[in-house]
Amino acid sequence: MKKLLLTFWVMSFLVPVSGWAKMDLVTLPKRDGVQVTIYNSADLTLVRETRELTLQKGINRLQFSWANTLIDPTSLEMLPKAQADKLVIEDLTYPPRTQNLGVWTIKSQVSGKVPVEITYLTSGLDWRAFYMGTLSGDEKTMKLEGYVRVGNRSGEDYEDAQVRLIVGKVHMLDQIAELAQRQYPYGRPDVYPTSAAAPMVMDEMKEMRAPRAAMKMAMASYGGSAPKAIIKEGLSEYFLYTIEGQETVANGWAKRLPSLGPYAVPVVNLYKYEQERYGKSVVRFLSFKNDEAHKLGQTPIPGGMLRVCRTVNEAGYLSYEGQSDFKYIPVNEKVELNLGTVQNVVVEPTLMDYKIENHTFDNNRNVSGWDEVRTFKMEVKNTRPVAVTVEIQRNFPGQKWDLKSEGDCGKYEKVDFDTVKYTLELPPRSVKEFTYTLRTYQGKRVEAAKSN
Amino acid sequence: MKMTTWIRSGLLTVLGCAVGLGSAEARVKMVALPERAATVIRLDNPSATLIEEERVLTLQKGVNQVDFSWNGVSIDPDSIRLKVLNHPDQVTLLNVSYPPNEAALVWEISSAEPVEERVRISYLLANIDRLITYRFLANKPETQVDFKSYLVLRNFSGEDFGTSRVQLDYGEAFEQAIGHEETKQLLFLDAGKVPITKVWEFDANQLPWDPEKVEGNVGIPVSYQIENKEASGLGKNALWGGKVRVFQDDGHGSTIVLGEDSAALVPVGEKMKVNIGDSRDIKVVQRKMKEERINLRKNVNDQVVLYDTDEIIKTTLENFKDSPAVLTVIEYIPGQWDMVECNLKYEKKNSEKIEFQVALNPKEKKELMMHYQRRNLR
Repeated sequence: MKKLLLTFWVMSFLVPVSGWAKMDLVTLPKRDGVQVTIYNSADLTLVRETRELTLQKGINRLQFSWANTLIDPTSLEMLPKAQADKLVIEDLTYPPRTQNLGVWTIKSQVSGKVPVEITYLTSGLDWRAFYMGTLSGDEKTMKLEGYVRVGNRSGEDYEDAQVRLIVGKVHMLDQIAELAQRQYPYGRPDVYPTSAAAPMVMDEMKEMRAPRAAMKMAMASYGGSAPKAIIKEGLSEYFLYTIEGQETVANGWAKRLPSLGPYAVPVVNLYKYEQERYGKSVVRFLSFKNDEAHKLGQTPIPGGMLRVCRTVNEAGYLSYEGQSDFKYIPVNEKVELNLGTVQNVVVEPTLMDYKIENHTFDNNRNVSGWDEVRTFKMEVKNTRPVAVTVEIQRNFPGQKWDLKSEGDCGKYEKVDFDTVKYTLELPPRSVKEFTYTLRTYQGKRVEAAKSN
Repeated sequence: MKMTTWIRSGLLTVLGCAVGLGSAEARVKMVALPERAATVIRLDNPSATLIEEERVLTLQKGVNQVDFSWNGVSIDPDSIRLKVLNHPDQVTLLNVSYPPNEAALVWEISSAEPVEERVRISYLLANIDRLITYRFLANKPETQVDFKSYLVLRNFSGEDFGTSRVQLDYGEAFEQAIGHEETKQLLFLDAGKVPITKVWEFDANQLPWDPEKVEGNVGIPVSYQIENKEASGLGKNALWGGKVRVFQDDGHGSTIVLGEDSAALVPVGEKMKVNIGDSRDIKVVQRKMKEERINLRKNVNDQVVLYDTDEIIKTTLENFKDSPAVLTVIEYIPGQWDMVECNLKYEKKNSEKIEFQVALNPKEKKELMMHYQRRNLR
């Protein structure tokens, strides 16, 4: 069952406006080649196909129809790939009382075969990246493997297509799927665009099944002995991934293709504590940088889900450590992958002392200002058999404050005017303790406070 | 125009002078209609379309009644005009009547002699209009675009137009036929290579200060700017507003979609700004490092009634790209203020908005420090 028929009819004589029904089918050229460029930040695919038309001298009318697809009719464009100076594409007409049909008027000074390129935007193809990470026993390196999964629910089989994927955030005004389902391509004047009576919707398209022949092609389109390479290059603000050779992406099917690695990436086991953001639990992160020092850095890494396991013994058995849905990582950017809360690294703040002092009084002898002094003991425990880094962030919003730290508090950093951070290195199965004393100024005492 | 289709066609009927204006049912409508001799569809006003059609009336000596009806077509009846073209000194429009319960009117025309008279009928017709769309193809280094603009004619007026003159607000009129419910897309302007400026813009009021704390990626909006001037290959007329789709040559004989935006009307000499997407390879992190009340002024009760603030903003700008970028940073300082110190040059755009142009080399990281004091706060 072929779900999408892209028919291409060539007319060699002038047909009056009201005479669409009189068209004669002269040739039906097949698609000679097709390229799909799939975006993942929007439901958008740029399709470029080449066909060879047989034109006659004079006015030619070419009918292109796309019933049961998700093509945006306003995106259709045809460009001659040869003899362009002898061809004029006069207009593209969407005839009355028809749907999913356009007619190009081409004035040709030549007769014979002319290759043309037709481009359009469609909805229904998508891709996403996902990753597998395998930590070494000492958790100092992670084998990182990336994949892309390309899916097709567009209603059309793309056989032997060159598949390209775009990484980046494209700015779009309209949903291509909505444009594809309009009754009239550009809507009606003063009427809000409505969908056709029986539009092809994505959910319905899920029910479509690829034909057996397409299934075979989809399964066995590549006879090579090694996984296909993906060529990556930057274009404008995007990255273009071009999959080696050709792929058949049959409607209803999806394909997984390797996109990254495997790379042995040095990682830092980073644990973070920030009560306002994560609650009372410590959150585990894996930290690395997308650079050469970390065996990466050739291209940005598209965002996606990373599932992390750890090698637990010599036989290579694995334990599941967690997962992280991470954002796009530019080249040279440091990344921290959130693997979720843990129980085996603990940060426990305890208020050990509380004082109020330095009262001030107004003219009526009422209290007009004071200092509140709190001393916290911070206990940091690493119960794991591996070394970890712990970051503790404390926030003092909307207050004037002074801070004094004592004990093994690691590296201290003032993040901004109301946030501080302690970074501690903890050996396997170890405990560290430090204290900090926070003085906050209240009422009139704020005037006496130094700047944060 | 179809003679038999009363419902969708404007219909012009010439009646003999003996036929009176009775009830709608009693009025006789002749079927031998004069064909449209020439039709002009004027699309120069984006809010209404003016149709001007010429017909040849066979008038008898004396008073003639001409019936014009528009069933199924939305015509503004008050906009209908009749202009006598050949013998304005002999042929005179006497009055206009509107029959009850009909989309029609009757002209009473006086003619000094029996004559074949060409008249021009003008009226505003609803549901026929035009749109403009743009298609830009940027070169790989993003220094210029192939600038194409398309005219989209949409006719849902109920009327089929055979070959007609279509007139826009500038340029030569052209011939085009367009049927009811038909949409036509025509290449309207091919300006060739037009230079562009690529602009990255961080607006401190629009974008988060700490992207790390935001779910999903935070991108810096990227735009192309095109000047509507002669040096750019444009500048002859205003550029109408419309949807812009931007593609880029990928250097391998193919293209990618860069993005789309809606452009407003761009007068000659002004710039068209087209937002194509977000850059994830430029990162801006902004933090307030200091906020302190100073210069406290008190009333007799020792209460602060007036104060200044001393504030420091630190902004880290990082370019992860292999290519340079000039980032526009827009900052806002409300109220009365003085800049105490700023490590980068800025331009004051209005009382509370300042703008920096920060050139970032490939892989470069820069820091912007603003130390300012806001005055006389209460």
